[in-house]
Amino acid sequence: MMEFFEANKDIILFTGVAAVKLAAFLGAVMGFAGIMTLAERKVSALMQDRVGPNRASVFGFAFNGLFQPAADGIKMILKEDFMPARAEKLLFTLAPFFALVPVLLLFAVIPFGDYFMASGYMVELQIADLPLGLFLILAVSGLAIYGVFLGGWASKNNFALLGAMRGAAQMVSYEVVLGLTLAGLMMIYGSASLQDMVRAQGRLLFGFVPAWGVVCQPFAFVLFLTAAIAENKRTPFDLVEGESEIIGYFMEYSSMRFATFMFAEFVEIILVAMLTATLFFGGWQVPYLYDTGFMFPGGALLPLGHHLVAALQVGAFAAKTVFFCWFLLIVRWTLPRFRFDQLMGLCWKALLPLSLLNILATGAVLTFLAR
Amino acid sequence: MISVKKVNNKPLNLLERIYLYEIARGIAVTTRHFFANLFNPKGLPTIQYPEQPVPLYGNARFRSRHRLKVRSDGSPKCVACFMCQTACPAYCIHIEAAEYQENSVEKYPAVFNIDLARCVMCGMCVEACPEDAIAMDTEEIPGGAADRTEFLMTKESLLRNRPGEPSLKGAANRLANEYLGSRGEQ
Amino acid sequence: MPTITIDGKSIEVEKGTTLLAAAQKLGIYIPRYCYHPKLSISGNCRMCLVEVEKAPKLLTACSTEAAEGMVVRTTSDKVKAARRDVLEYLLINHPLDCPICDQAGECGLQDYYMDYSLARSRFSMADKVRREKRRPIGPNLVLDNERCILCTRCVRFCSEVTKTSELEVMNRGDHSYIDLKEGKALDNGYSLNIADICPVGAFTSRDFRFKQRVWFLKRTKTVCLGCATGCLVEAHHNENVIYRLVPDPNPETNTWLCDHGRLTYKALQAGDRLKKGVIKNGLIELEPALREAATRIDEARGAVAVMGSPWLSIEDNAALARLARDSVKTGDYCFDFNFEQGIKDGILINKDQAPNTAGVRPVKAAYGGISMGELAGRIASGKIKLLLTEARAAALLKDALKDSGTRVVVFAANRGEIPAGAYATLPYAAYFETPGTFINYQGLRRRTTPPVAAPEGVKPLWDVVNKLASYSGASLGLDSGDDALKGISF
Repeated sequence: MMEFFEANKDIILFTGVAAVKLAAFLGAVMGFAGIMTLAERKVSALMQDRVGPNRASVFGFAFNGLFQPAADGIKMILKEDFMPARAEKLLFTLAPFFALVPVLLLFAVIPFGDYFMASGYMVELQIADLPLGLFLILAVSGLAIYGVFLGGWASKNNFALLGAMRGAAQMVSYEVVLGLTLAGLMMIYGSASLQDMVRAQGRLLFGFVPAWGVVCQPFAFVLFLTAAIAENKRTPFDLVEGESEIIGYFMEYSSMRFATFMFAEFVEIILVAMLTATLFFGGWQVPYLYDTGFMFPGGALLPLGHHLVAALQVGAFAAKTVFFCWFLLIVRWTLPRFRFDQLMGLCWKALLPLSLLNILATGAVLTFLAR
Repeated sequence: MISVKKVNNKPLNLLERIYLYEIARGIAVTTRHFFANLFNPKGLPTIQYPEQPVPLYGNARFRSRHRLKVRSDGSPKCVACFMCQTACPAYCIHIEAAEYQENSVEKYPAVFNIDLARCVMCGMCVEACPEDAIAMDTEEIPGGAADRTEFLMTKESLLRNRPGEPSLKGAANRLANEYLGSRGEQ
Repeated sequence: MPTITIDGKSIEVEKGTTLLAAAQKLGIYIPRYCYHPKLSISGNCRMCLVEVEKAPKLLTACSTEAAEGMVVRTTSDKVKAARRDVLEYLLINHPLDCPICDQAGECGLQDYYMDYSLARSRFSMADKVRREKRRPIGPNLVLDNERCILCTRCVRFCSEVTKTSELEVMNRGDHSYIDLKEGKALDNGYSLNIADICPVGAFTSRDFRFKQRVWFLKRTKTVCLGCATGCLVEAHHNENVIYRLVPDPNPETNTWLCDHGRLTYKALQAGDRLKKGVIKNGLIELEPALREAATRIDEARGAVAVMGSPWLSIEDNAALARLARDSVKTGDYCFDFNFEQGIKDGILINKDQAPNTAGVRPVKAAYGGISMGELAGRIASGKIKLLLTEARAAALLKDALKDSGTRVVVFAANRGEIPAGAYATLPYAAYFETPGTFINYQGLRRRTTPPVAAPEGVKPLWDVVNKLASYSGASLGLDSGDDALKGISF
């Protein structure tokens, strides 16, 4: 027994650490997604001068609606699980998973910290540091279209199918823009690994400005955010399924199947928030914070222990994520919806040329600087 | 003839066509509300209805939850004439009549139910009542119950007087007045 | 044959016709309280005053005979004023009892006030004459003398129709009131008719008292099955409950309705109404009861007798005959009932208490069968092991069944009808709940129209018989009551 451990120590350790990281990170993400369902309603309520849900209570304690996600979950589970008689049974069942699983997969490549030293071992604070992480994101997020389209098609409902077609057209179009906006970043940082890109953002420009993506690529930031919201199918781009106004691909879904679609949407918000933070706002980077502590531009030093630094970095990443989640909610509840022709026009006639221009300009600047 | 209104929409200027500035302005508005309400939730106009009573205007014509008036001997003024049930457009009143053995009024409601879940608060029952026995002046607004059965008002929950009652003002029933007089109650 | 003109329309009428009857023929309605077509003319209410040309004063239409060349006006200002004034007089002492008065909704005072008066009373409430209220009078009526307008319809009904003369107008002038004659009680078998003919709420029914407001009631014309007279009635019902029966006057059979007939509907709502089967003394569900009855019939095959009943409709008797002939396959069935028929008391009540004695005859004509005497003999001699019949008909064979050891399976609607010692009882829908055809003592065909639905699970008798046959393995093919009537001529 002991020999087996000794012989395979590295593999066992690697697997164990990966499992712990996976459980911790995904657990945090899923828990946060549950809170997001409440946050969406609370944020929208507050900005509309309402109170929002505050009635779900356990033994008379409501905690201002904190039990609402649990109550919603119980309700969803207890509801009738209805499937149309003529639906494609297998695909109808699989579609919600096609919507949720690719999104969850993407959290593997997102670095939520730098590294962490524990009893001599260095633990990367990222589930898998893939050299081509950015491409994985683009590739896997493309799979989410299957969830939309299979859901609409397997329902055997004409309106669901129309919604699915709208959804597929919208997602395919905006994926192009999404990919092209990220090209500029890769040109600047010279890597497609997200960890590398975050580390590169720790540099300073002109001695005091952090070299965050938003500073280097402000234009790409706006394009990316727009395209990401569109990928996420949320207002102002919710033409796929617009709550009570536009019936969409999951109109035949009920119970937990429907909840899975909705949950995927909230997980996707978190993903977009994390990607935005990672690519454009320095990820886990805190300005002027290095391995040994703060080093301010004026020369002032504030030495900090390793554990404190790691905690600060993870905390910074979490704070940035929460901020962008909130920001996405605010955007969703502020802006009115586009028309479908406006949506497609915006993509192909505005965002796509602009993202190409952005690549051109980035290339020109890089060439100029290299000379 | 369809009336046509010509609208002269102002063409958007460049800044507006770029959207971003306008979007930022919109987000500024919502964000301002968000934080104002987040840090000062007391400022929200929402009333937590069933727990937090709504201040009413005290208007004489205001219609609130029903009540059945009570005579000075504790019997309901209602004589179960079924006029309210007849007048009710929502079919929410259910009456079963019974006979007094002693009281010279002869008739009283053994069952008098109002299903507030059905009631449309139109006040027709009050208009129809020949005995001035039903009133909608409790200043309680029905609603906000977790169970349908909570909306069912029975005779017991409807019978009540306001301060200063019973008064004989508006009482039409000679038989009741005679009966109360014979018992020394007026 | 005098010819008269009423409101510009001319009509030739028989000599002796009153103006009110002549106007009715022309479709002109003249308001009336004391007039009733089947009672003598009294002329005391003055509501039917009409203007006759060359007559110095207004004349009562109900008591004035038509004479050649009369010109009558019923809508002139003079007549209108007279009606308004008569109503004012009648209402002077009328109490404001409408909320607690059962007559409200079908009250002559309310109706005519709305049609002809609409005047405010000029007399104060305090000056009204007080009289005895709420006086139970007889087993079926309540008298409220304050509401009475002294039209004397009730007095005339008692002296002319029932000829018992219990009621009289006591005192004179504005002291007059209706009272019982000394030593009499208002307990003749027709007293509830007084509640009907009373145009106001003075006489009200004790049975109907405060049960329901009349404007909620729906009306269904059907037949009274209290005896062989077969009076036509109107059932007043609401939300699947019958509240009262009133006569549906017709020239052939009845103007009135006896108290017994009026209360026959109560059997439907009685506590002993059968909604399930009974085996010996225990209630069981209908299906197992049917199965049990069918098993017993199969067991006794060859020694089963079936008897029809004069209390059942022609359909149900025919279904029983079909069961005997096609399913049980016995020759021992009896549809032979000979009761003496005819009006017993000179008014309505028949010597024959069963409603359909005449209706069983065509069933006998179509299916034959043995006589009642023969059946009784066979039962007494122990040849019959099981008798299937209707509960009240089984009582006819009480003597023969005693000590014979015959099992009795009966159909009954109420538990009180079940004869002592019955083995099994199957419920069936009464004829207020299902249509049935009857023939009354005059040979007139009467078909009931069900005003209400049977309790859940309870089926018409022909349907129960059909099921019984199918449990024994035979198909009678009865899908409706009309199927059972096939092959029977009446």
